[in-house]
Amino acid sequence: MSARDQILAALTRHPAPPVEPARPESRPEMPANPWSVLEERLAQNGGRLVHSHSGAWIDSVKWPCEFAELTHVYVAKNVPESSPTPPASQLSPTAHLSTLTSRGVGATAKAMRDLEPLEVTVLYADFAVAENGAVWHVPASALERTAALLAEHLIVLVPASSLVATLHHAYERIALAETRFGWFLSGPSKTADIEQSLVLGAHGPRTMQLVALES
Amino acid sequence: MGHVDRAREFVRDESRTKWHDESLWFVRAKRDDAADTVPDWEALRDEAATIKRDALSRLPDLWRQFETAATEAGAVVHWARDAEEHNQIVLDLLEERGFRRVVKSKSMLTEECGLNPFLEARGIEIIDTDLGERIVQLRNEPPSHIVMPAIHLKRSEVGKLFEKEMGAPVGLDDPDALTALARKDLRKRFIAAEAGITGVNFAVAETGSFVVVTNEGNADLGTALPSLHIACVGLEKIIPAPSDLAPFLRLLARSATGQPISAYTSHFRGPREAEDIGSPAPAMHIVIVDNGRSDLLAQPSFRDALACIRCGACLNTCPVYRRSGGHSYGTTIPGPIGSVLEPSRDPKAHAELPHACTLCGSCTNVCPVRVPLHHQLLTWRAHLAEGGHHPTRRRVAFGLAGRLFAHPRAYEILTKAGRRVARRLPTAWLDRLTSPWTEARTLPPIPARSFREQMRARARQATKGPR
Ligand code: SF4
Repeated sequence: MSARDQILAALTRHPAPPVEPARPESRPEMPANPWSVLEERLAQNGGRLVHSHSGAWIDSVKWPCEFAELTHVYVAKNVPESSPTPPASQLSPTAHLSTLTSRGVGATAKAMRDLEPLEVTVLYADFAVAENGAVWHVPASALERTAALLAEHLIVLVPASSLVATLHHAYERIALAETRFGWFLSGPSKTADIEQSLVLGAHGPRTMQLVALES
Repeated sequence: MGHVDRAREFVRDESRTKWHDESLWFVRAKRDDAADTVPDWEALRDEAATIKRDALSRLPDLWRQFETAATEAGAVVHWARDAEEHNQIVLDLLEERGFRRVVKSKSMLTEECGLNPFLEARGIEIIDTDLGERIVQLRNEPPSHIVMPAIHLKRSEVGKLFEKEMGAPVGLDDPDALTALARKDLRKRFIAAEAGITGVNFAVAETGSFVVVTNEGNADLGTALPSLHIACVGLEKIIPAPSDLAPFLRLLARSATGQPISAYTSHFRGPREAEDIGSPAPAMHIVIVDNGRSDLLAQPSFRDALACIRCGACLNTCPVYRRSGGHSYGTTIPGPIGSVLEPSRDPKAHAELPHACTLCGSCTNVCPVRVPLHHQLLTWRAHLAEGGHHPTRRRVAFGLAGRLFAHPRAYEILTKAGRRVARRLPTAWLDRLTSPWTEARTLPPIPARSFREQMRARARQATKGPR
């Protein structure tokens, strides 16, 4: 008998009795002031909330330095245009996914490793969750996932109209069966493994800004 | 050496014990605050507890369903009866491809299977990438906590370690600076890794997906770059549907560290996208591991422990764990849940653990999936006594006590006499007699009258009283 069949047989040897999951009749509803709840929870996770008009998000976020001084920025393809539009010439040639592909490198494993040192990555998320300050994001590629992790600073844009109350509502919106990789993000990469003191930027971004885009 | 001896070692340093105790209580308090922000907390616990028990009642169906869906998504599913099979499967996957550099994110299962020493002995470099795990790996010791692996260490000890291992300047003990050093060192390893190993927090039967939760993002970095992702999952980790993730994820981080959610909650389904021509095609292998879990499932008194989602709340709240340290348990999983799980593997070796408990019940109160921990610990004591696993001294003493407790009259006479004698003895003598309870403190003064005598006197007073 294969290991598989043996394990499956062992599990039926002395089965646990059937149990009906206790489903509550209702889920918590959207709080009266959802964005301030989200802001507080995100802050607990070390992130920062910014409100912005969709066309001007570049002006609303805090950049680590003058925008023109940035050399390594990854901007996801689905990020909406903003005025002032980042002039392509101001972005590093290794910065943009489309640039990468046009250089004929493809998004190779080497290209992913070359993402270092990446200063800022800008992503566009599907929706935000009020109760825990998280956003649901499906990276367009493993390169985009890597860019989100290797950057010193992470900026995530999300349509303000997309807010949901809880994770229950969130999973109603997610088609997990069709999602190769998707994640909830909340705050920067962090650790408290040395004497319980919180350090931001354990492996990935040291800061995370969430931009709620009002149309 | 048993739990008591190892705990004695740990409490020798009084200030460290106090600090350890307080650090963990701090996390427990944060858990309470986080739970208070969730209006439906208790209903969530009920829901999560029953989803798990439902899943435990139909594991074969759910895993078959998972296997089909995961295979459809392009993953390869393996089954391992025990730790050896698990380790061999992982080794074969690496050797087939000639891979020698592996990064691993936190997984108690691979810890349980002894994967690191197994691979290292065969010339494979395996790097733990969770900062706490990396620290204990460099110190050559096991994690002392399931969520905070290096909670037993002071910053100065981490500084000394990094001095040796990462060229930290002498005396460096700033957590920010130390973390920055580790980040730099580990970044190189991530970039160089050929394979990434992760654990699994939840496997979803319906879709063949699985979820990995971290704060550092190390599981993501460790699987985004290398072409091979190996995920190791225990049989108890399965839940039926995607919507079932919600109650668990609402409970997990809040119970573990008091956060609303962890920084990264990643959902994997099949290997990552192929990005280029020429480099190895991305592959995902999932190793489903029994290693004693089907045996535990067959024990009605203890099978509920398989519902555990490894949040660590029961450790943080446990008065014994907080004061004796994780290493005192001598097991992969310490604390209340470890004391329930480990005796089922080896009753003889771990017979002491169910006694490392005051039966205060705090673990049961905080457990997000309602594992009846302290009831199980009590049941273990009975089982182990019946199995003859108790030391002779305790067997004799408990036998006598049992007989005495069955006869209230005899009990009263004997304790009265005992009290009378004890009140005349010098405290130091008494302490010597009642050791080890009085190793680090003295007995309170012996009262002249027993509780029952006092109550009787009160009752008399009341009937005689005015009016
Ligand atoms: S037994 Fe409960 S409280 Fe303890 S680690 Fe498991 S889920 Fe958490």
